[in-house]
Amino acid sequence: MIRPITYSFSELTIDKVHLSAMLGFPEGNLPEPFDLYVAEAFQEAEMICDIQGAYCFTKTIEFGAGNGQLIVDGLEFEIGKTIAKELRHSENLALFICTAGSRISQLSQELLTGENPVLGYIYDVLGSMIAEAATDKLQLEIQKIANEQGSAITNRYSPGYCKWSVADQHKLFSFFPENCCKISLSESALMYPIKSVSGIIGVGANVKFREYTCDLCNQNECFQRSHRRIKA
Amino acid sequence: MNELLTKLSECIEFGKINMASPYPPNMKGQEGADEITRKALEEGVNPQDILSLGLMPGMERIGVKFRENKVFVPQVLMSAKAMSTAMLHLKPHFLSGAAKQKGTFIIGTVLGDLHDIGKNLVGMMVEGNGYKVIDLGTDVNSEKFIDAAKENPDAVIGLSALLTTTMVNMEKIARDIKEAVPGTLVTIGGAPVNNDFCARIGADHYSPDPQGVVEFLNTKFA
Ligand code: B12
Repeated sequence: MIRPITYSFSELTIDKVHLSAMLGFPEGNLPEPFDLYVAEAFQEAEMICDIQGAYCFTKTIEFGAGNGQLIVDGLEFEIGKTIAKELRHSENLALFICTAGSRISQLSQELLTGENPVLGYIYDVLGSMIAEAATDKLQLEIQKIANEQGSAITNRYSPGYCKWSVADQHKLFSFFPENCCKISLSESALMYPIKSVSGIIGVGANVKFREYTCDLCNQNECFQRSHRRIKA
Repeated sequence: MNELLTKLSECIEFGKINMASPYPPNMKGQEGADEITRKALEEGVNPQDILSLGLMPGMERIGVKFRENKVFVPQVLMSAKAMSTAMLHLKPHFLSGAAKQKGTFIIGTVLGDLHDIGKNLVGMMVEGNGYKVIDLGTDVNSEKFIDAAKENPDAVIGLSALLTTTMVNMEKIARDIKEAVPGTLVTIGGAPVNNDFCARIGADHYSPDPQGVVEFLNTKFA
C-alpha cells in the first residue's frame, strides 16, 4: 500500500539560523542585505513549495550472500557493505520518495542567472532544506507506525550514498506508481524536480538508529566535510 | 598603479556592485564597480588595464578565499555580479579589439545531468579572470560540445557532472571531443569526480574548485 503525504512549509522544522549556517554564516550573523533576502525567502516559501511524498512497507527482505546485497520483494539492491551493516536485523523496509516541488528551483534559477543571484542561491539552499526537512517528517511517520507494531527503525539511506549506486533508484521507483508525487526519474537516475530525495529505512524489533556521520560517506572533497557539517 | 584600479579590484573582491548596493555593509554609500569602471574609462584608462589590473586581481583574490573556505557561495556571487556589471562597460572595447580576453572557455553540464550551480560558479570565476566563457547549459551532448569546439578553435572545454551515473556520459563526451577535435583540452569537475577518474577517461585536468580551472587555464594561455 502506498501512503501519500503532503506538508506545508510551516509544518517543517527549518530555522533561519540553520539556513544562515548553510550559506556560510554559522553564527547567524548574516550581513545586510542577505538577512533581508533570507527573510523574503522564508516569507515566500509557503507559496512556492509543493511538498509531496509517499512511502510503502515491503513484504519480504533478505540479505544476499555477499554482504552488500539486499533482496526486497524479489528485487536485488546492491546497497554496499556500509548500508547493509546499518540495516542489519531489519525485518522489513520502508521505501520513500519526497520532493519540495519544482517551483522553488525555477524561481531560484531565474534569480541566479538574472537580477539577484544571492537570493536565487538562497532559494536553492532552502529548496534542499525543505526536501530534507519534509523527509525528516516522513521518517517520523514511518517511525510512529513501526513503533505501534513494536518495531524500531534505522536512519534513512539513499541510493547514491556510501557506495550504493544511484542507478538503483530505478528499482526503488518500481515500487511506486509512475509519476507518483509528480516525481519523475530520468534514464540517468536523476529525479525531477531536482529538490527530491529517495531512500529506504530498516524496520525491525532489533534495529538500531545511528546518526549519519561523515565517516559513513566516501565523498572526500566535500564542502560539508570541510565545514564539519554532516547532513545534506 | 592607478588608484581607481586598486579601488576597482577591491569592489570586485568584496562584491560592491554600485553605489546603491547596500553590500558589503562597510562600503555602504561608496561608489561600486559600476561607477568606478565608467569613471576609469572616462579618464582614459586603457580598457585592457581595467580588465587586467582592476577586475582580474579582485576576482583572483575572491577565488582563492573561496578555495580556502574563508568566503562562501553568496560572497562569490556578489563578486561575480560586480564583475559582470563592470564588464558591461568593457564590452564595446572587446568588440573593437581595444581589450582582449585571454582565451575562450566552453563549459556545460553533461548529458543526463541538470545540476548547474557549480557549473555556473566555475563559469563566473573563469570569466572574472579574463576569459571569454561560452556556457552551453545543462544536459549537453557530445555534438553540442564538438560544434562549440569547432567554432572556437583553441578553446578549453570544461565538463561538469554531479551524479556517478552521468560521469559515464562525461567519459563518452570527453572521448568524443578528443576524437572529433584532436588537441582540445578538457577539464572536468563536480562532486563525485576525482583525479583518478580524470586520468582514466583521458581528460587533461581535474579540479575540485573553480580556482583550480583558472590556474590550469593560466598555464595554457599565459
Ligand atoms: C545539496 C545536495 C542535495 C540536495 C539538492 C540537490 C540539488 N542538486 O540541488 C538534495 C537534498 C535534494 C539532494 C538530493 C540527492 N542527492 Co545530493 N547532494 C547535495 C550536496 C550536499 C551539495 C550539492 C551542492 O549544491 N553543492 C554546491 C555547489 C556549488 O557545488 P557543486 O555543484 O559540487 O560545484 C562545485 C564543485 O563541484 C566544482 N565544479 C562543479 N562543476 C565543475 C566543473 C569543472 C570543469 C570544474 C573544474 C569544477 C566543477 O566547482 C563548484 C564550486 O565549488 C552534495 C554533496 C556535496 N558535498 O557536494 C550531494 C550529492 C550531489 N548528492 C548525491 C546524491 C546521491 C543525491 C540523491 C541521488 C540521493 C537520493 N537518492 O535521494 C538525490 C538526487 C536528487 C535528484 N534530483 O536526483 C551525491 C551524488 C553522487 C552520486 N553518488 O551520484 C552527492 C555527491 C553526495 C554524496 N556524498 O555522494 N542532494
